[in-house]
Amino acid sequence: MADLTIAHAETPREERPTHRLSAGALCALPVIGLLAIGFAAPLVAILGYSVATPRSFDVFRSFTLENFAALFDPTNTVWLSFLWSCGFALFTVALLAVIAYPIAYGLNRVFGRASAFISVLFVFPLFVSENVRLYGWVLFYIKNGVLDGTLKWLGLAGGPEVLYTPGITLFGMVYTYLPFMLFPMTLGLALVPRDLVDAARDLGAGRLFIWREIELPLAMPGILIGMLLTFVLAIGATAEAKILGGQSIIVISHDIEIAFTYSQNWPAGSALAVLVTFFIGALTLFALSKLDLDRMLGRR
Amino acid sequence: MAGISRRSLLQGMGAGIGALAASPLVGSGPALAAREKELNILCWEGYNSAQVLDPFRSSTGATVKAESLTNDPTMINRLRAGEINTWDLINVNNPWARKVMLPEKLIKPLPKAEFEPFFAKMLPEFKWPYKWAMSEDGSELIGMVQRFGPYSFVVNTDKVSRKTAEDTGWDLFNDPALAGRYGILESDDWNVFNIFIIAGIDPFKVHTPDELAKFEETAKRVFKGAKLIGDIASMNQALISGEIDLHMTGGTYSVSPARADGHPNLRGITPLKGPLPGGKGGISWIEVTSTVNNPNLSPLAIEFLKYVQAPDVAHTVAFAEGTFNPVAQMGNPDCFKLFTKEELDAIQWDSLEEEMARSVEYDIVPDYDKALDIMNAAKRLRG
Repeated sequence: MADLTIAHAETPREERPTHRLSAGALCALPVIGLLAIGFAAPLVAILGYSVATPRSFDVFRSFTLENFAALFDPTNTVWLSFLWSCGFALFTVALLAVIAYPIAYGLNRVFGRASAFISVLFVFPLFVSENVRLYGWVLFYIKNGVLDGTLKWLGLAGGPEVLYTPGITLFGMVYTYLPFMLFPMTLGLALVPRDLVDAARDLGAGRLFIWREIELPLAMPGILIGMLLTFVLAIGATAEAKILGGQSIIVISHDIEIAFTYSQNWPAGSALAVLVTFFIGALTLFALSKLDLDRMLGRR
Repeated sequence: MAGISRRSLLQGMGAGIGALAASPLVGSGPALAAREKELNILCWEGYNSAQVLDPFRSSTGATVKAESLTNDPTMINRLRAGEINTWDLINVNNPWARKVMLPEKLIKPLPKAEFEPFFAKMLPEFKWPYKWAMSEDGSELIGMVQRFGPYSFVVNTDKVSRKTAEDTGWDLFNDPALAGRYGILESDDWNVFNIFIIAGIDPFKVHTPDELAKFEETAKRVFKGAKLIGDIASMNQALISGEIDLHMTGGTYSVSPARADGHPNLRGITPLKGPLPGGKGGISWIEVTSTVNNPNLSPLAIEFLKYVQAPDVAHTVAFAEGTFNPVAQMGNPDCFKLFTKEELDAIQWDSLEEEMARSVEYDIVPDYDKALDIMNAAKRLRG
């Protein structure tokens, strides 16, 4: 290593070939290679398939916009799935905003030393497969299951019939994505300076005023990141509608799955995937353009 | 950082890339010519279980990888999409090998002389030359058969008696009184067959616009009336809990785990009559396992096909994890005697022969794409 260092030191700066990659770029090459294979290549393949001849495997050998045209055909009801997915995602975000805010507030201001433990309780379910957790809820709500059986054992009428409905699908999504809303929101609230709240209170501001004028605006970047993350995850959710909802609703990601499996129509599935990806991508870029990441990360 | 130099780092990266290139699931070429010690199987669940694979791994010292999927089109698409260089064996339902994979050169024939003797020990209906194991012209052996079964619908006989179910047949799903009391197995190729049958139409032919219109009306009604659509576990769970009384698309394959688990009141039903050729009301399936047209096929592929013919392994395949099924090798007394009374009851051995006789064999729907699109649209209207 010593020889190498001397050799470098003796090389005059102006003699270095300009086209050579910097040390940083060289070190990044393996990661760039990995990303190209693992991240970019599948996306390029999906893009290629989306313009391939319908029901074929002529990827990169054919070009047609038929797959996209079919999606916008008035007789195609795939828009129903898209609307349901958007609706579920919006409701999930709205419900989680209301549910997660008090918990995030508690983790920052109320729970004190117990905060760390309570945080772990919210993270813990993530260690268990989502499908397993959802099947657990099925056992809880199913006829003669945990809830229904217990209520009947207590001499009551039994549990409500909630399984296999759109409502239970929404419940499953709220349950699954709670941590993804909670932790960005907690981070956002943690960035609200305590002194500012105390100063406002000293100057006579009421609780609601402090919340509206100080806490909420300052925590907003965290809240918006949580909302964005939850929305993006929820719009692509399938398991909740399948396992808890009993496919009472066909969501858009399920339609994509059907195209790739039973329909044997990868080009159609790819076109749908591209369209959904562009929609989510545009939405994400729009939201991120409205966020001040510097402020969120506490750099000013 | 003391232990890491640029040279050791580069050596490590080189070794890593080398290991990746040598992986059986990456690429192909001369570097991979020697495949005597590896085997890759694309199959329905069961063949990928440790009970089946571990003894083969031990006896050959080979690395055996098996991926299970739960529908034929996906598996065949994997080969079409370029994975022909990856897999050695593919295990799908009867018509695909003969009508699709061989013409598309996705699979290659087996050595007849080596495999013909196995058919002599199978159940009578599988005797040589067995139709689905042979090419269309009957000249080539294109796969080996093992698991099979009738597959129509399943009822909880405490709620709908076996006699009522067999007599009424598919009209159960036309009965408005049963709306909200049945489920639909998420098995869309079979659901296309069954919606046609519920509409009183033979699925395995080209359909007229009128028939497709009737198919659409039936699909909308049947899917709207379903309490749930789900996988096998969901169907059995819903039957056991009382959420549903019956479910469409099902049979020995789907209900046998529940029967083996102490629920003999759940039963696969093959209707006595229906709109299928010969007035039959049921459909059966027979798995065919073929060697993939891999330019670098592992020699273990042939060995594995012979290995699963052994009576004890055939019994293990029949009762591998997931689902339990009859196997063609039960025609061999040495294999049959391995089945306990409980196991025979789980696979409905008492009625197997008559149910198979009342069924036509799984086939390809000529206008499947059109029918599936109609059915998917009908599903979206459930909400």
